[in-house]
Amino acid sequence: MRSRRVAGAIGALWWGLSVACLVAAIALLLSIFAFVALRGLPALRPQLFFTVTHGIAGGLANAIAGTFLLVASGLLLVIVVGIGSALWTVEYASPRAQRLMRFTIDVLSGVPSIVVGYFLYVALVEGLGWGFSLLAGALALAIFMLPYVSRAADLALSTVPREMREGAVALGARPATVVFTIAFPWALPGILTGLLIATGIGLGETAPLIYTAGWSNYMPTLALTHEPVGYLTYVVWTYISQPFAKSHALAYAAAALLMILVFGTNLVARGFVEYRFPRSQRIH
Amino acid sequence: MIAKPWRIQRVGAQAVLRTVTITMAAVSFAVIFLMLAFLVIYAYPAIRFNGLGFLTGTIWNIGNQYGSGSVSHNGYAAMPGAQFGALVFIYGTLMTSGLTMVFAVPFAILVALALVYRVHPALKPLANALVELMSGIPSVVYGLWGMIVLVPWISNSVGPFAEAHLGFIPFVGGGAGSGDGLLAATFILVLMVTPIMVATIRDVIQSQSETIFEASMALGSTTWQAVTRGVLPSVRAGILGSLLIAFGRALGETMAVLMVCGGAINIFPHNLFQPVNTIAAVIVSQLESALTDSSGMAQRSLAELAVVLFVITLSVNVVARTVLRGTDRDGNRA
Amino acid sequence: MFVTNQPPVDLSSATKLRIEDLNVYYGSFHAIKHASLLVPENCVMALIGPSGCGKSTFIRALDRLHDLTPNARVQGRVLLDDEDIYAPGVDPVSIRHRIGMVFQRPNPFPKSIFENVVYGPRIHGERNRKTLLAIAERSLRHAALWDEVKDRLDKPAMTLSGGQQQRLCIARALAVDPEVILMDEPASALDPIATSKIEDLIDDLKREYTVVIVTHSMQQAARISDYTAFFLMGELIETDTTAAIFTKPKDRRTEEYITGRYG
Repeated sequence: MRSRRVAGAIGALWWGLSVACLVAAIALLLSIFAFVALRGLPALRPQLFFTVTHGIAGGLANAIAGTFLLVASGLLLVIVVGIGSALWTVEYASPRAQRLMRFTIDVLSGVPSIVVGYFLYVALVEGLGWGFSLLAGALALAIFMLPYVSRAADLALSTVPREMREGAVALGARPATVVFTIAFPWALPGILTGLLIATGIGLGETAPLIYTAGWSNYMPTLALTHEPVGYLTYVVWTYISQPFAKSHALAYAAAALLMILVFGTNLVARGFVEYRFPRSQRIH
Repeated sequence: MIAKPWRIQRVGAQAVLRTVTITMAAVSFAVIFLMLAFLVIYAYPAIRFNGLGFLTGTIWNIGNQYGSGSVSHNGYAAMPGAQFGALVFIYGTLMTSGLTMVFAVPFAILVALALVYRVHPALKPLANALVELMSGIPSVVYGLWGMIVLVPWISNSVGPFAEAHLGFIPFVGGGAGSGDGLLAATFILVLMVTPIMVATIRDVIQSQSETIFEASMALGSTTWQAVTRGVLPSVRAGILGSLLIAFGRALGETMAVLMVCGGAINIFPHNLFQPVNTIAAVIVSQLESALTDSSGMAQRSLAELAVVLFVITLSVNVVARTVLRGTDRDGNRA
Repeated sequence: MFVTNQPPVDLSSATKLRIEDLNVYYGSFHAIKHASLLVPENCVMALIGPSGCGKSTFIRALDRLHDLTPNARVQGRVLLDDEDIYAPGVDPVSIRHRIGMVFQRPNPFPKSIFENVVYGPRIHGERNRKTLLAIAERSLRHAALWDEVKDRLDKPAMTLSGGQQQRLCIARALAVDPEVILMDEPASALDPIATSKIEDLIDDLKREYTVVIVTHSMQQAARISDYTAFFLMGELIETDTTAAIFTKPKDRRTEEYITGRYG
């Protein structure tokens, strides 16, 4: 029938278009990769890791240290709050409270990072007089990472098989015992993956840190307040805007390093967790 | 049995865990309310000073810092000549994000369809991984690429091309300028937002595909018809939800937009190639200048901007989650 | 009000479990209606009935497992040696020391065989490795599993076959030294050979413990139990010695079930 042939031809056109879109997306992705790699990798000389930024160029040591410090501190905060609240949601909350909690966390995940940053700027940096500081930056990252960690932990804890919990309860285990002997071990891979994904996101964030961590040309001290902290994403943003080739080189180097860190974390999230906790060792 | 149970098993420890976790849950729950309340309270002087003109005014001016005297509305004072109108930024935010969705949604759906139906099974893990990799790229890196690669390309190739061949279309003609502006910002946002949608849409399609696809084919449709008339409508809710979430992300995106938008203050873009500004970008770019305002009104007005953005993204998110609530994780009606 | 249609029990054995007017609600659904039952000590009591009739719900109530379900409500009394386990102020953990449960599908923990068996004693405070090993050996022997696993106690429990896993779960339940063992269709997920091993085991267990077993197989009930109770749609219809139930049922509905009218 003619209409079927026409429909077939139209379909073929659309399928072609869809593949073209996929190819375009991948091509653009590779273009960005290549761009950063070609300009950034050559600029990643070993001495960059040992010199701090100064003037229009220098090294990345302070930014690298600052990034690690900020992300690690943020993670510390978010592990306690995020996993704790997920634990309460799964183990203790009534069905209504569960819905409310999950809804609120989901809504939190949509708050723009700049709003989080500005809020903390007004409240802590200015309001409490902390100035640009490690703690403010860590809090900004923690708030931003919270929904990811909380959701991952919630999901992981929810998939603990009911029969396993019942088995433990039937042997006389109380709720917290079930949590630590059964639920956590089971949920650990999922929680770890969530943490690693949140880390990847935290590594790449700028907006929440601009007004909380500030910027520093010096290696970070461990002071929680009154001392600004430098970080890699800031380098990319500001140094590319300078008119000097040296500054640009530093920006590209920082960008390349960032990509390596982010993708490394992601790969670890997939690969290592699967290796260490193979799915074959669990039933159900 | 034995008299001394494990430390965790003792009744006291049970209560400790319960108390600690409920506290953490309360903190998580309260964060979002705290943020909103705090920003509103801090912005209150600006809200009163600016009045409704905040949403309708097009001039953003922190006022004459060296002049004498001050301007005062509703009991709150700022430097003479100060006025804070955010319409340009609100327009820019909605325009860039809206335009982004116009392009990103069909793009994401097509990419997702290709991933599900056109990619060889052996290549699927790789293809999927590549698309997910896109969502991991930091926004400053997108901005970097945008500044160095995209903007010159628009300025040198796309602009002149559009001028020469498409100049008759209202919003398109009119000169390319330096390349940064609405088109650049939209392009970058499309790149950033698509991977988020593709992941969800692909999952959602895959979950419904077998049953509906085969049924549709059995009724004699072509594969394309089977998909567009059978599978896609059945996952409408999931697609809508992911669309709204992506829209919310686009609205709040800061760095990448900041680096390619052209930083327009007080002017509206008249075509695709003119500078534009979003609320998020303005909050970053204007803070230093706002700090010089001795009356503090500029900073509070920025906070008011943050509240506006917060409210917009919050509403979008709540609608998105409500839409998704009637569905299970696969986007089907629960 | 306590009503039973059970014939007088042999007075030489004490009553281990006495269930008086038990009602279980899931939300507004009345799952168990006014069930009363006497379970003598050291016997095997089988609960039979068509699927969905509430036998599982009933047996779970005996271990206070419905505490885990948010919208489940339990009314009535369950007396273990004359103490009501549902009395206010009773710690469910103390009940679960004395009443153990084996579930339909084997549910070993993702730990080693040894850690599975000694889970109960460990959380209740036993630290001494030698004592734990002794408990493990005793329980595994009692569950007829010792010879098969004695050389690989540290291997994951998941590497065992289905039948072995179920016997492991039985050993695990025995390790806390209960007085009553509840079993919810313990062999339904197993092949015939594993099933018969479990049945031999149950026969052995009744010497030291009181066993209540839910089964969907009448033949199994006839083989292993001393007493049988028949459930239908949440009601306990009839209870009697197994021989009597299967040869001279008093209720018409019992007879219909036994002769195969219900699924």
